[in-house]
Amino acid sequence: MSKGKLLALVLIVAAFFAGRYFFATGPVQMTDSRGGASYGGNQEATADGERRSGSLVRGIHMAPMTGQVHEVRAGEKIMDTVKLAQSGDTIHVYPGTYSETVYIDKDNIRLVGIIEEGQRATLDGKGHLNDAILYSGNDIVVENFLITKYKGNAIMGQAGNNFEIRNNIIVDTGVYGIFPQLGKNGIVTHNVISGIEDAAIYVGMSDNIHVAHNHVFDSVAGIEIENSRHAIVENNFVTNNTGGILAFITPGLPVKTTYDVIIRNNFIVGNNHKNFAAPGSTVAGIPPGTGILIMAADEVVVEGNIISDNKTAGIIITDHNNAPNTTIDPESDPAPDKVAILDNLMSNNGYDSIDEVKALMLTEFKTGKVDIVRVGVSRDSCIINRHQYVTVGVDKWAECGFTHTGDVLTYLLDEPVPPREIDPAEAGKVAYLGICAGCHTYTGRMIGPPVQVIQALYMDDPQGLADYIANPVKKRDDYPQMPPQDYLDPATRLAVAEYMLSVTK
Amino acid sequence: MPRTLLCTSLLTLSVLAGTVLAEPAPYPACAACHGQNGQGNPDLNAPVLAGLDAGYLIRQLNYYRQGVRGDHEMDPHGQQMATLAKSLLNDQTDLQALAAYIQSLPVPAVQPVEGDLRRGNSYYQNNCGACHGGKGEGNAAFDAPRLAGQHPDYLKRQFLHFKQGIRGQHPKDKPGRRMAMMANTLPEETLDDVIAFISQQP
Ligand code: HEC
Ligand code: HEC
Ligand code: HEC
Repeated sequence: MSKGKLLALVLIVAAFFAGRYFFATGPVQMTDSRGGASYGGNQEATADGERRSGSLVRGIHMAPMTGQVHEVRAGEKIMDTVKLAQSGDTIHVYPGTYSETVYIDKDNIRLVGIIEEGQRATLDGKGHLNDAILYSGNDIVVENFLITKYKGNAIMGQAGNNFEIRNNIIVDTGVYGIFPQLGKNGIVTHNVISGIEDAAIYVGMSDNIHVAHNHVFDSVAGIEIENSRHAIVENNFVTNNTGGILAFITPGLPVKTTYDVIIRNNFIVGNNHKNFAAPGSTVAGIPPGTGILIMAADEVVVEGNIISDNKTAGIIITDHNNAPNTTIDPESDPAPDKVAILDNLMSNNGYDSIDEVKALMLTEFKTGKVDIVRVGVSRDSCIINRHQYVTVGVDKWAECGFTHTGDVLTYLLDEPVPPREIDPAEAGKVAYLGICAGCHTYTGRMIGPPVQVIQALYMDDPQGLADYIANPVKKRDDYPQMPPQDYLDPATRLAVAEYMLSVTK
Repeated sequence: MPRTLLCTSLLTLSVLAGTVLAEPAPYPACAACHGQNGQGNPDLNAPVLAGLDAGYLIRQLNYYRQGVRGDHEMDPHGQQMATLAKSLLNDQTDLQALAAYIQSLPVPAVQPVEGDLRRGNSYYQNNCGACHGGKGEGNAAFDAPRLAGQHPDYLKRQFLHFKQGIRGQHPKDKPGRRMAMMANTLPEETLDDVIAFISQQP
């Protein structure tokens, strides 16, 4: 090799490293694909007339990001930057392993993992941290993270509106994967979630929600819409969970209804995973092999899904009286009313069903692999093309007055909703609704013990309760440990304790 | 001296093996109603004592002696036990030893009662299990006694006593007041199913 060539090579190699070095320290150029220009399509396609219109639901209207861009790199703490950030700021988190709990209690923050050549910013709970990302602010974006080995929640929203949680990968993380609680106008898209002991995606007590393009697998519940209204669950790949997609009213929560839920165009395939939920919890009652479970929720429309290879049944519709591990809430109607089953591709469901379902089938002199099972009361429900399926309990249902949901693109709102105004006197109530009600219902066992029991235990001792939640010790063999709420300041902890001891339903 | 030594080592051995301790002096009197092995006697309305947590037993015996439990005019069985506690036990009685002995007795099998076990399980897990444990095994962290293995009739009577204000009202009885609060949360029509569920626990 000539000297000249050698020099050139050295220079190239040097330039390569310099380039990488430059790449690693300089801010990356991020392109925001939620807005901007659309692919126009080939001219030919419109030769014979206008194309239909309709926009892609990927982002929602967000408050403008006017502020600063902060950078966090391996070795630093994300939380240190969150503390500095002002409303309107963006935080870029570069690839590396971060082992911490991030708590965002400001509005309008965009927390973005930077993905470089497949390397993600990784939040690793190392099996002992409880929650990865918590937010109580409005207009929060959380995207592009890899989250693993936390005991509680990967991403939990606590009463924040206009949220956007997307492009995250969540592996083997505790109780809930993505869990927006008490939020209005929010979107959960393009996340990949597996190995969750309760629900991979759990939308709780929320309104105007869009859950789309997620891949959820190997969890007890895939996607759960609970005590929420106006939600669309579409284009998700839901496989090998114990139960695929659930629309529920959980009794004993402060919000008493679930209605207006569209479940469409999802792949709900082979949800036969062994149930590994904490025994006695609500989801522990889901029989493995359940494609869709509708419990007590009203106006649930099921359309265009591919529902196959779920061994107990493709769709189960039940009231509270017939659901396992469930008690009655006098303020919630236990019946799932106005359920509509439109066209779905159903195949090879119910091939190894449970005895209760087999017994129900006998009462209708039916045999074979059951697609749809209804137990208990369900008023004004309807179905089309029922002859396609093996069903139990739906023979008397009416023919639906509509055949598709095409007119409803999304329930997201055109304008962001205003941030929740929090009266300082209400801090306890908001924390209760936004945090505690995610795991504690008034009357029943959810993840934690019922509030009634807590009231009996702590009666006139709010300070004792406030001390417990700052540093919970394990007290019950058959419950998980409660995650510490030490990110709340002592005054809020006492306020939420007092509120918890005062609620009556 | 060698005998005491032998006794002590036997005692240690039996503790290690989880077997029954030596019977303390007052127990034969208790056995008249509660049975030689603490298995109770439904005909006398005397509950199972075997296997109950020592802390719970001592508290109950003191309650009976101090008129905290078994003092209500509508509670004849409680009154009976209270009278006995006052006569059979005194300040010199080694309650620790008595309670430790009773706790070490193996829990007898109980005749299960029939009911809607699915509903019983639901209400049990939701309203009771958080204190008494998922299988009715009890949890000393909440002073909540073992329920599994207890006579169903006794459980029902006690439950209704809490609900009716016959037990668990005394200002000195904080654990009892807790239980009384919970007794009011269970829809009455589900009680028999909950008791059936408890009776089926090992
Ligand atoms: C991620 C789920 C989760 C959240 C959120 C949660 N808890 Fe808990 N909580 C639990 C679990 C699980 C237990 C049972 C722990 C045990 O028995 O070891 C529990 C137990 C408790 C207890 C009972 C303590 C005792 O002495 O038995 C109290 C009080 C309590 N939680 C209060 C709260 C309050 C207040 C909040 C909101 C600020 C809250 N929890 C939020 C899961 C949660
Ligand atoms: C004459 C029969 C009789 C004798 C003798 C008797 N008991 Fe009882 N015991 C009862 C009855 C009846 C009850 C149920 C009381 C109630 O309903 O409150 C009871 C209840 C108890 C309880 C409450 C159990 C629980 O689960 O709460 C304890 C503890 C107890 N006895 C211990 C003893 C001990 C120790 C002795 C001996 C020192 C003894 N009893 C002797 C009849 C007897
Ligand atoms: C807040 C915790 C708590 C909950 C929840 C609870 N209990 Fe209790 N329970 C207790 C405590 C504490 C005692 C003992 C009271 C005492 O020391 O006098 C008790 C005692 C009892 C007894 C008397 C046992 C005996 O041996 O005398 C029965 C029966 C009982 N509970 C049934 C229930 C049932 C059924 C439920 C559900 C509807 C329930 N409990 C829920 C705390 C609880």
